[in-house]
Amino acid sequence: MKLFQAYIAPYLKKYKKAMIATILLGTLALLSAAMLTFTSGYLISSASLQPETILLLYVPIVAVRTFGLSRAVTHYLERLAGHNAVLKVLSEMRVKLYRMLEPQALMIRSRFQTGDLLGTLADDIEHLQDVYIRTIFPTVVGLCLFLYATIMLAFFDWIFALWIALCLGVFVFVYPFYSLYKLKKHQIDAKKQRSHLYRSLTDAIFGISDWMISGRKQEFVDGFMNDSKESHALETKLAYWNQSRAFQLQLLSGMILVMVGIWAGYSAEQGDIIPAYIAAFTLVTLPIIEGLIPLSHAIERIPAYEESLNRIEAIRKFVPEEVVFEKEIELSKQADIEIEYLSYRYEGEKNDAIYQLQLSIPHGQKLALLGKSGAGKSTLLQILQGAIEPTSGTVKVNGYAPILYGENIHNMVGVLNQKPYLFATTVENNIRLGNQHATTEEIQEVIRKVRLDDYINSLPDGLQTQMEETGQRFSGGERQRIALARILLQDTPIVILDEPTIGLDPVTESELVETILSTLQDKTIIWITHHLTGIEQMDKVLFLDKGQISMQGTHEELMAMNTRYQQLYLLDRG
Amino acid sequence: MDKQLLQYKGSKQVMALVGVLTLGQAISIIIQALYLSKAITMMFQGSTWQAALPALLIFLAAHLMRNFFQWGKERLAYRFADQTALSLQQQLVEKTFELGPRSVGKHGSGNMITLILEGIPQFKTYVQLFIPRFLSMAIIPITLFFYVFMMDGLSGIILAVVLPILIVFLILLGYAAQRQMDAQLDTYKLLSRHFVDSLRGLVTLKYLGRSKAHEKAIENVSNKYRIATNRTLRVAFLSTFALDFFTSLSIAIIAVELGVRLINGNIGLEPALAILILAPDYFAPVRELGNDFHATMDGKEAGEEIRGILAEKTVDRKDLPTVPEWTANSEMKFEAIMKKADEDRVILKDLDFTVNGYQKVGIVGTSGAGKSTLIDLLSGFTQPSSGSISVDDIKVNHLSFPDWQNQLTYIPQHPTIFSTSVLENIRFYEPTATREEVAEAVRNAGLDDLIHSFPNGLDEKIGQAGRTLSGGEEQRIALARLLLQNRSILLFDEPTAHLDIETEHEIKQTMLPMLEEKLVFFATHRLHWMKEMDIIFVFEHGEIVEVGTHEALLEKPGAYTRLIEAQRRGIKG
Repeated sequence: MKLFQAYIAPYLKKYKKAMIATILLGTLALLSAAMLTFTSGYLISSASLQPETILLLYVPIVAVRTFGLSRAVTHYLERLAGHNAVLKVLSEMRVKLYRMLEPQALMIRSRFQTGDLLGTLADDIEHLQDVYIRTIFPTVVGLCLFLYATIMLAFFDWIFALWIALCLGVFVFVYPFYSLYKLKKHQIDAKKQRSHLYRSLTDAIFGISDWMISGRKQEFVDGFMNDSKESHALETKLAYWNQSRAFQLQLLSGMILVMVGIWAGYSAEQGDIIPAYIAAFTLVTLPIIEGLIPLSHAIERIPAYEESLNRIEAIRKFVPEEVVFEKEIELSKQADIEIEYLSYRYEGEKNDAIYQLQLSIPHGQKLALLGKSGAGKSTLLQILQGAIEPTSGTVKVNGYAPILYGENIHNMVGVLNQKPYLFATTVENNIRLGNQHATTEEIQEVIRKVRLDDYINSLPDGLQTQMEETGQRFSGGERQRIALARILLQDTPIVILDEPTIGLDPVTESELVETILSTLQDKTIIWITHHLTGIEQMDKVLFLDKGQISMQGTHEELMAMNTRYQQLYLLDRG
Repeated sequence: MDKQLLQYKGSKQVMALVGVLTLGQAISIIIQALYLSKAITMMFQGSTWQAALPALLIFLAAHLMRNFFQWGKERLAYRFADQTALSLQQQLVEKTFELGPRSVGKHGSGNMITLILEGIPQFKTYVQLFIPRFLSMAIIPITLFFYVFMMDGLSGIILAVVLPILIVFLILLGYAAQRQMDAQLDTYKLLSRHFVDSLRGLVTLKYLGRSKAHEKAIENVSNKYRIATNRTLRVAFLSTFALDFFTSLSIAIIAVELGVRLINGNIGLEPALAILILAPDYFAPVRELGNDFHATMDGKEAGEEIRGILAEKTVDRKDLPTVPEWTANSEMKFEAIMKKADEDRVILKDLDFTVNGYQKVGIVGTSGAGKSTLIDLLSGFTQPSSGSISVDDIKVNHLSFPDWQNQLTYIPQHPTIFSTSVLENIRFYEPTATREEVAEAVRNAGLDDLIHSFPNGLDEKIGQAGRTLSGGEEQRIALARLLLQNRSILLFDEPTAHLDIETEHEIKQTMLPMLEEKLVFFATHRLHWMKEMDIIFVFEHGEIVEVGTHEALLEKPGAYTRLIEAQRRGIKG
């Protein structure tokens, strides 16, 4: 119910008009169908009495035609209005989901499985449309129809109306809630199995080369198909139950029709209704029940939605509170970084990732940062980007902690990371992400700077070439250069280079290092690197070990004084 | 009628059975109408309800039969659809693994996952609904028409005239919707992929300071998707509207026409009522087919897409070559191998080389020169466009067969870390390895300290749902995997380039003994590895331009010395 309040009710309210219109139209469509039968039955019975003139039947004849037309029209309008509203809701839900994930972006990989995210997207959000189309609309429409039929009948015979209401109640209340109760567990299991399938398939597809080479792919296929078969078996059970229920309900509707027939015959005998109504009442029973049968199916689906909403809710729980900043910090094209006694410890860890770090990076300094994995380089970067707050000590960019900049920190600090993501769109769009207002000339300029111009212009579609998934069309080096072009367009005073030359051949690497350094001349560069190519062009070299500085100085100083540095240098020279 | 439906195993029997049940249903419908109108007429003409009761009971029995047949039809169709969908899913998953990482990347892995897990159920729904609906449409209207026509020619003629119009409408609108779908399929795919793509690139968006603004893009694309969907739905709904409209109208016409003829005494009440009751049932199958049209259209589309993928050329599984186990005396020959990328871009050409025994082959060259493609060919992830390969004088067209692949270990730059425990990750290739053996491999891969720092040791969950590992740690997991296997051919695709030099140096010491007594292909930019290689292939623009040992290549200026110089130019010391 809380979930309903959070995820369904607001949209019902927001699109109140469309929702009400859908329900009204839906009710009208069913009523028209019923009334078409009712008036036809009446018309034919009356006609068989062979009245003097056809004019006596004028009203039923017009009514028959009207209901015939209005059934089609209202049904069409109902579906149009309903789907339109629901698609709008879905579109907003996608944005909502994104809005929940976005603040957690830097922690996302460890927190959620991509498989789950895919599942959430394709399954949960898309299937939420059923909440409206298959549950809310048919249920409310069915209830309206139920009330209408009962009240109309009560005008003729309220005791019989009560009895029929009781019978119809089986369709409206008994079967729906029985189904809900009976299927709840089944459905939750089915859903769980499906997300399990999602997870294992996603994992396997991303590790497809290992499955192939290990010779275990048949094993995976068999395991997956076994899981899939189990999931199918469960779904089959559900489907069979549905089919049996439809049969039972149809049987019941036949019995109700017989009862209505007997009642109508009896009432006519007693003179309570005119005989022409016998056919009308008897025949109208089936179309009315037709409108009530979908209720069982509508109600039984509820647990499936709960499951989906729970998953979305689980993601929402991690959303950090929106921090309100007192004032917006002025952005600058200059940036001095001061780090004093900085320590950071990850939750649940025994050791500090960074310990008592002191460092001052004046604007324009080119700093090379080295160290084994886990030395604290990435932690330092995360703090600089305001993604995490220091456990103790301070980091200040132009006198303010990065976190105070809020989202604007990304206008101060740009990052070229190890695995830059290239989106499934054109090369140009990927580069343009750095600056939405860049002109085509500027884009040409940056691809020239990253030395991709010849290659890109040689492609048949040039800048409009599609990246394909994870940019497979482009080699590792080319992908890095596209990402670099993006950073160049972004134009921030501080650029963090997080091992961007990985995977480039020596020729390209030294060229790219030159390019990076020359294009970013007036910026602060914090270059995390794993080997020493280009290092002598940096103002300062800094080695981190276990969160502390183990070596620092200029390349020349270190070469002159530090034997460990000399060894590393010789190693790298090959 | 989707002819493909007849191709699936057992479909003809199911169709025949469902057909028989449908015929039974049609007959029940007639009896039902007959006795209901009889009962009503009796009561209308003044009989007591007790007198009409037998007729009402016969109606009830017919009603029961009719719905019993319906139940049987649906159950049969469901079972068939389920089995067909499962077998198709199996084929699709198998095909995915045959196509390999490169093709899957091209289709989009998100797309493949959706097709396997969403497309298959959609297809199932399509088959499950289509078979009974289609047969109902083929059998019920005709049966009812003959009966009505015998009872009353004029009503029969009205029914007979309207139905073809309806069907023509159904087909026309079906085509319109189809065209709409075809025109939008690419947009559809792009739009539906956009959201997943956005989520996967969220970190990058964040770095670019675009993640907040991207919300707008999601909204826009989502809206475009909505509008595109709406447009298709509108056509689909229009076809339902047309069906509704015509059936309602014809029922109204029949009712009025019967009314007029009743006034004139040309027809009795009983047959008139029976016709009135039969009329909706006469149209029902067409309406149902139309109503489900858009619900089943995506299933049909999915079926076609799946068949498209299944029809893609992969290596013939039946006629797989076998090669002997690689030994010190084995020999492999590449002759005139060429590999084209899709748009006729040649990525490898004139590849001629021989390797034998436990040679260590270094592969170097600038980015995009063809190193990775050669590794892809060697691993069997892709097949050459032309040329021939022979292993121990056995000619093979490609290396995508288990006999070869089961002798390989492949270590890419970014090895896959599955979302499971360290233990399961490491013994992925050797699932039967004991904990002790894994612990040994962990020690030798330099992972001991890391694993000891985990609260759960070897059972710690890593990968997407667990602990994130650094690039170096991921690579060590891969090395531990390699250590556990005893395979004689090792393929390295840039395994250490992203490690810091200290770590790289340490790992190199661990790795070097592993390369002994193996056929090694080692593609890298880290040229210090080349000193350890027996022979070096230097690639430039998709061709091998130089072959030789490190020392030999250093002697004459060329592609190799250019690489070495570039690396040293970086380090002016």
